[in-house]
Amino acid sequence: MNNTTTAVFYDGNSSVPQQIVLSLNSFNRTLEFQLANGSTCKWLIQEVTFDKRATGLHLEHGLDVLQHIKIKDAHFIDLIQNFRKANGHIGWYQKLIDLGFATHFGIAVVIMALIGLCYVYIIPWAAEQSVSLIPEEYDNELGTSAWAGNQYFMDVDSEKTKLLNDFAKELKLQNTKKLKFTVVNSNEINAFALPDGSIVVFTGILKEMKNYDELVGLLGHEASHVNNRHSMKMLCRSLSGYLFISVILGDANGIMATIGDNVNSLQSLSFSREFEHQADADGFKILLENKVNPKGMSNLFKRLQQQSYAIPEFLSSHPVTENRIDFIDKMIKDKKFQTVAHPQLERLFVQLKQ
Amino acid sequence: MEESLEKRVEYSLNYNGKGSDFFGIIMVNWLLTVITLGFYYPWAKAKQLQYIYNSTSLNEDSFAFHGTGKEMFKGFLKAILIFSILYGVLIFCVLQQMPGTGVLIFYIGLVAILPIAIHGSYRYRMSRSSWRGIRFGYRGDRKEFTLLFFKWIFFTIITLGVYGPWMAMNMRNYLLGNVRFGDVEFQYDGDGGEYFALNIKGYLLTIVTLGVYSFWWQKELFEYYVNNLSLKRGDAKIYLNSKATAGGFFQLIVTNILLLVFTLGLGYAWVATRTIKFILENIEAEGNINLDALTQTEENYKDATGEDLSDFLNLDTIM
Repeated sequence: MNNTTTAVFYDGNSSVPQQIVLSLNSFNRTLEFQLANGSTCKWLIQEVTFDKRATGLHLEHGLDVLQHIKIKDAHFIDLIQNFRKANGHIGWYQKLIDLGFATHFGIAVVIMALIGLCYVYIIPWAAEQSVSLIPEEYDNELGTSAWAGNQYFMDVDSEKTKLLNDFAKELKLQNTKKLKFTVVNSNEINAFALPDGSIVVFTGILKEMKNYDELVGLLGHEASHVNNRHSMKMLCRSLSGYLFISVILGDANGIMATIGDNVNSLQSLSFSREFEHQADADGFKILLENKVNPKGMSNLFKRLQQQSYAIPEFLSSHPVTENRIDFIDKMIKDKKFQTVAHPQLERLFVQLKQ
Repeated sequence: MEESLEKRVEYSLNYNGKGSDFFGIIMVNWLLTVITLGFYYPWAKAKQLQYIYNSTSLNEDSFAFHGTGKEMFKGFLKAILIFSILYGVLIFCVLQQMPGTGVLIFYIGLVAILPIAIHGSYRYRMSRSSWRGIRFGYRGDRKEFTLLFFKWIFFTIITLGVYGPWMAMNMRNYLLGNVRFGDVEFQYDGDGGEYFALNIKGYLLTIVTLGVYSFWWQKELFEYYVNNLSLKRGDAKIYLNSKATAGGFFQLIVTNILLLVFTLGLGYAWVATRTIKFILENIEAEGNINLDALTQTEENYKDATGEDLSDFLNLDTIM
């Protein structure tokens, strides 16, 4: 059996290539060769690092002085590799690498599916858990800094702000923290809530309203976002999503950037579908509790939806408007409710519309 | 054996890696990283670097990367410790109602880490790279480099960034100028003024041409990085020369983007392979250094802290 070959040896002190005759001694489990100066080298196969590269099979031996052999002979390479396989020298990592493309592709598909599942189930759950650990003051700070960044660009209508606060005072909004209402002059048909309890309503959306019950519905909806800490939940979700991706992709930075981004875009942060659903349900309850006609809510949504010339932002970020209207209409049908006249609310509403 | 050659010769630089092989490594690494909740990362990084180095060859002999996951894991822990201390100081100052001081210390700390990270990363990477058993090495002095770095940063800040290109070139000259390959020395001759002009021209023309010029800009930058790099030993030298064209960059970048988008990122292995191949195939090396007569001069250096700090800071300074 031919268990010798010629190979190139580098002694680790210079890059001079030296031709050697290399032989495999399977009995002693060594590789043996003779140098030009006549000395014989014996390497224990177990102490040699093997690496199959495009340039051949590369062998390395030694720690501080790294000796190196390059073998090109395919037959001899097979011989060594078979010897190593037979003696269990192939590491588990190499075995995983040797599984082949199809298996590796399978691994990729499985991991991607896991990522998808985590996004849908585990991350929202983890975020929910972490929110309960974060003190409420943090919500306030977040809201205050978001508002501080935005208010310079907003034209606050102080008179209407006062009217809206009076309007809200007449209502029970089930709020756990103090809510501050602000009216901003803008054609944008929008309203949003910040985590510190600031609720901002644009004059654009007020103009669209026909009755005070619609405004109650809107305030109820926004108050629910504050009461349920939806902003903080969204922040926790995108953070834990980011953390998760960092772990998966092995990236350690960028978490701070996510927090920064979120604070800045808190205003436009579109609440997820389930948060909107919850806010609608809570808003509805608030309407009932205040004995205001709940049709106001559904009327507002329907009217805004019909505004096809400019899709209102308030709804555009919520793709399932139809479902939401159906949901409210169904509740109106199913639930018994009483309404009473609210002359005070009506008066304030008329003034707000002016 | 003669140290220098009588005639100038061409050296061949090649990348022999295959996308499908690299894909396998990335997927196995990914799996292990997920299973270990991220702790496998340093080992994964070592395996990837090993594959890339091993697939790169000079005159038909491949490079080797000897860094290990264990070394990088130790460095990783030290890097985490350093960052925790920085964040700890920040949080402490915020709790003491001194957020301003805290942020100031934090950023000064961050800037102070930068040169240490770059220095450490160069030392580690170079010392752990070899060809035919001959190690690379980085001979820069940490203290000297840190002081220079602060000087450049200071100039950059007071000139509102105008000094940036000079800083970039000074840094490149220093770092690459201190790289050794056995007894061969690297040299980089960048000039801040030229680099500044190159970038201003690239920037303006890219805007005027609605982005079309960006490929020429890319080509010129590549040329500037490659052509100013040379190797020398005594009187013998190796000169590098870029062959890359703007069309080549266009093809590379557009195909890479399409590959990434249509494979949901799984095509990364092929993107990386194509990119490295493109870079190496577009570098011509010519000169009279006898590569068969290099001698070992560089010592082993196994502290990967700088390498890991650079990773945290997302620095990619190696050449």
